[in-house]
Amino acid sequence: MVNRILSVRNIVKRFGGLIAVNDVSFDVSEKEILGLIGPNGAGKTTLFNCITGVYKPERGKVFFMGEDITGLPPHKIAKKGIARTWQKIRPFRKISIVDTVTIGALLRYGDVDRAREEAESILEFIGIPKDRFHKLGSEITLIEHKLVDLARALATKPKLLLLDEVAAGLRPHEMLRLAKVLTRIRDELGITLIVVEHVMRFVMNISERIIVMHEGRKISEGRPEEVANDPKVIEAYLGTKLI
Amino acid sequence: MVLVRVKALDRKTITQLLVVLIIFSLLPFVLGFNTYYIYLAAQVVLTAIMALAWNIIGGYAGQLDLAATAYLGIGGAISGLLLAFYKITPWIGMPLGALAAIGLAVMVGYPTFRFGIKEVWYALLTASLVVIIQRIFWLIYGSTEIYLPYFEWSWYYLRFGRYEPLYYMLVVMLVFVLWLNIVIKRSKLGYYLAAIREDELAAEALGIDVRRYKLYALMIYAGILGFVGGIYVSLTSIVTYRMFNPWLAIVIAVIGLVGGLGSITGVLTAAVILRSIEEYLRGTLGATIPGLYLLIYGLLIVLVGVLKPEGLGGLIESIRRRFRGGSYG
Amino acid sequence: MVVEPALVVESLINGVLNGLLYALVALGLALIFGVMDIINFAHGDFVMLGTYFTYIVATALLVDPTLTVFITVPLFFLLGIAIYRAVIQPILGSEPLIQIAVTVGLLMILRNTALAIFHAEPRGVPFTVFNIPLHIGPITIVLSRVVAGVISLALLFTMHLLLTRTTWGITVRATADDREAAQLMGINIRKVYAVTFGLGIALTAIAASLIMTFSRADPYVGLLYGLLSWVIVAMGGLGGVIGVLYSGLILGIIESLGMTLISAGARELFLYLTFLIIIWLRPRGLFARR
Repeated sequence: MVNRILSVRNIVKRFGGLIAVNDVSFDVSEKEILGLIGPNGAGKTTLFNCITGVYKPERGKVFFMGEDITGLPPHKIAKKGIARTWQKIRPFRKISIVDTVTIGALLRYGDVDRAREEAESILEFIGIPKDRFHKLGSEITLIEHKLVDLARALATKPKLLLLDEVAAGLRPHEMLRLAKVLTRIRDELGITLIVVEHVMRFVMNISERIIVMHEGRKISEGRPEEVANDPKVIEAYLGTKLI
Repeated sequence: MVLVRVKALDRKTITQLLVVLIIFSLLPFVLGFNTYYIYLAAQVVLTAIMALAWNIIGGYAGQLDLAATAYLGIGGAISGLLLAFYKITPWIGMPLGALAAIGLAVMVGYPTFRFGIKEVWYALLTASLVVIIQRIFWLIYGSTEIYLPYFEWSWYYLRFGRYEPLYYMLVVMLVFVLWLNIVIKRSKLGYYLAAIREDELAAEALGIDVRRYKLYALMIYAGILGFVGGIYVSLTSIVTYRMFNPWLAIVIAVIGLVGGLGSITGVLTAAVILRSIEEYLRGTLGATIPGLYLLIYGLLIVLVGVLKPEGLGGLIESIRRRFRGGSYG
Repeated sequence: MVVEPALVVESLINGVLNGLLYALVALGLALIFGVMDIINFAHGDFVMLGTYFTYIVATALLVDPTLTVFITVPLFFLLGIAIYRAVIQPILGSEPLIQIAVTVGLLMILRNTALAIFHAEPRGVPFTVFNIPLHIGPITIVLSRVVAGVISLALLFTMHLLLTRTTWGITVRATADDREAAQLMGINIRKVYAVTFGLGIALTAIAASLIMTFSRADPYVGLLYGLLSWVIVAMGGLGGVIGVLYSGLILGIIESLGMTLISAGARELFLYLTFLIIIWLRPRGLFARR
C-alpha cells in the first residue's frame, strides 16, 4: 500500500489581480520522484512556495503525511519534515561549507559537535571532498553551491525534499552527477523528491511521474513519455517537441 | 547545554581569558593608581563591555541596533534611583535593572521582529527608541541630576571613595562578557544567528524560527547592558537624562562595526583603542572643537565601510590565515 | 479646554503649508531610496548643510534666500554625484548593515563639521523678502510660509511630471522597478544612480533655501528634517511623488494640530512615537504601490 506523503488540494494563490495558481490539486506518493514542469509563468515556483510556507494560499489546502500544514510558517514546515533547495542560490557567504550544513543539522541535533559529525557524513554522501569542507560560501563553484544547498537541506532530515530548478546553469556532466546524487537520496535515504525544473532532459530522465502546469493550472499528469506526447503540453510550450 | 559550557572552558579559551584578566588587572599599577586615569580606564572597559554586548545583536545576529544606551540607561536608572531614594543595594538593583532592560527589549523587540522589521527600519526604530526613552525620563525628572549617596568604602552599596573597586568589577564583567561571546559563537544559538545574519529566508527554510532567535540575541544584549548600567551610574555618581545618550549608542555600533562584525578580538581591540583615542582627544582638543571625536568616528566608519567592511577583525583574520595556511579560524 | 476655531483653522493651514515643504524635503530621500534601495541616514543633514550654504551665499551676495538656489542647487547636484562616486557606489553590493552604517558615518561627518565651523550658534539670513504676516480675519499666517508651500507644491508637481512624462523619468522608474531588466534594455545603471543621487541632494538645497526664508540654520536641524523625511518615506512607501505628497500633508497636519492642541514641547516626542507606530504598522508604507 503506497502512502500519500503530500496532498495538494485546490490551491489558489493570487497576487493582486493576477492568479498565479488556479485551483491546482495533486498527490505525491511516498518515495517517488515527481517532476513539476511548465513554461515560464506557469506558477510552479508559486505553488512551490505555497507548499513550503513562503506564501499563504488564498484557497485550498496542503496535507503532509495526513496533517494539514496550510499556511504554516517555513520554519515549522521544515520541522515537520519538508526541506527545499533554492532556484537562485542562497549561500551563506561568510560561513564554511561544513558549518553551513551543521546549521541544517542543528534542527535535529541540539549538540553542535554531534550536528557537525552529521554534517560531515552528509557532505561525504553528497560527494564533496574533505579538503573543501572549510571553504567559505563565497569561495565555491556553482555545482558545489547546489550540492551544499542540497546537503544542508538533507541535514534537516526531511521526508520530502523539494528542488527548485536545481539543474539551472549546470554543465551536462554536472547534471549527471546531480542526477546520480538525487537518485541515491531517494534510494538510500528513502526521501520523496519533487523536482521543479526547466531543463527538460534532466527532469524527464530522473522523474517517474510528471505534472505539467500552464498559466496557473495543471494541464497534464503522467509518465514522462505520456506527458511528452500530450498535445496540450506541446501546445503550451509553443510547439516545441519535448525530448 | 552543560556540554557546551564545559567545552567553552577548554584550555585555549581559559588561557585567552586569563591573559585579558591579567593585562587589565595590572593596568592600574601601570597607571600609578592615579584617580583620573583609573576613571578613564574604567570608562574604556565599560565601552568594551557595551561593544561586546552589542556584538551579539549586531555582529552575530546582524541587526543594526542603535538603542544601547536605552538599555544601559534603564538599568542605571533603576539601580541608581533605588539606591538614592530607598537605599536599596545595587546587588538587588542591578539584576532588577537587567530585568527591566530585558522587559523593554521584549516589549519593543517582539512586535518589531514579528512585523519583520529589519535593516534600515530597525536602525531608525532603535535610534528613535533611545530618544523616546530619554524624553520620557526628561518629562519625569527634567534636567535634575540625582546624586547617589557617598560612602567611603561600601561593597554593599557599591559606593567607594576611589574608582579601583568599580574598575575591577568592570574587568570581571568584561571577562564574563568575553566568555559569553565565545560560548554563544560555538553554540546552536551562535550558528543560528550566523545563518540569520547571512540570509533569513534560507535560515527559515532550515527550521530556524528567525524571530525567536533574534529576540534571544536582543534579550541577552539588553540584559548585559541593563546590569552594567548599575555600575555605570555608580561610576558617574549621578542619575540623569544624559545617560540615555543617543550618540553613545551610535558610537557603540560604530565600534562594533570597525572591530569587525562578530570578531571578538576585533571588537575588544577597537573598543580599547578608539575609546582611548577619544578620551585623549577630548582631553586635549575637546573644549575648542566640540564633536571632533564624533567627526572622527564618522570618518572612520565611512572608511571602514567602503574600504574594509570586515573591519579590524577581518584584518586579524587575514593575518591568522596566512599563518595557519588557510583554515577557517 | 476651550479651543478657538480660528486657532484650529490657522493650525490646519500651517500644517498644510508645512506638510508641502516636508514633502519636498522628503522627496530627495524617496527618490534615492526608491531607485537605489540606499538608505541615506544623512539626508536630514544634507538639508542642514543646504541651510548653511544658503546662509553663506545669501550673506555674501546680499540676496533673498530663494535666489541662492541658482548657485546652491548646481553645487549640491555636483556634490551629490561626488559623494555617490566616492562613498555610495563602492558599497552598493555590501550588506545592508554596512550601507546604513556608512550613511550614519556621513551624518556624523556633516553634522560635526558644521558644529566645528559654526559652533552651536544658529545663523539667519540678513533679510527675506516675504517675511510679512498676512491677516485674514482672525487668522495670521506668515507670507514666507505660504510662498514656501506654494513653491514646494510646484516643484513636487514638476518632479511628478518629469518622472512620468519624460524619457528620463521613465528610465529612472524602470531602474527603480527592475534593475536587471533595465540593464538588459541598455540603460546605464551607474549613470542613472549617479544622476538620481545628485538630484536627490540638489532637492535638499532647494528645500533648504525655502526653509531659510522663515527659519535659521543650526547644526541640529538635520535630526528633525531627517526624521520627518523618514516618517514620510515610511508612510508614503514607494507611491511615487503622490505618495510623498499625501504623507507630507498628513504629517504636517498631525504635527501642527498636535502642537496646538496638546503641547508645543511634545513635538519631537510626538513625531518619534508616530514614527515608531508607522514602522510597526505598515513597514511598506501606507500608499505602497504593491
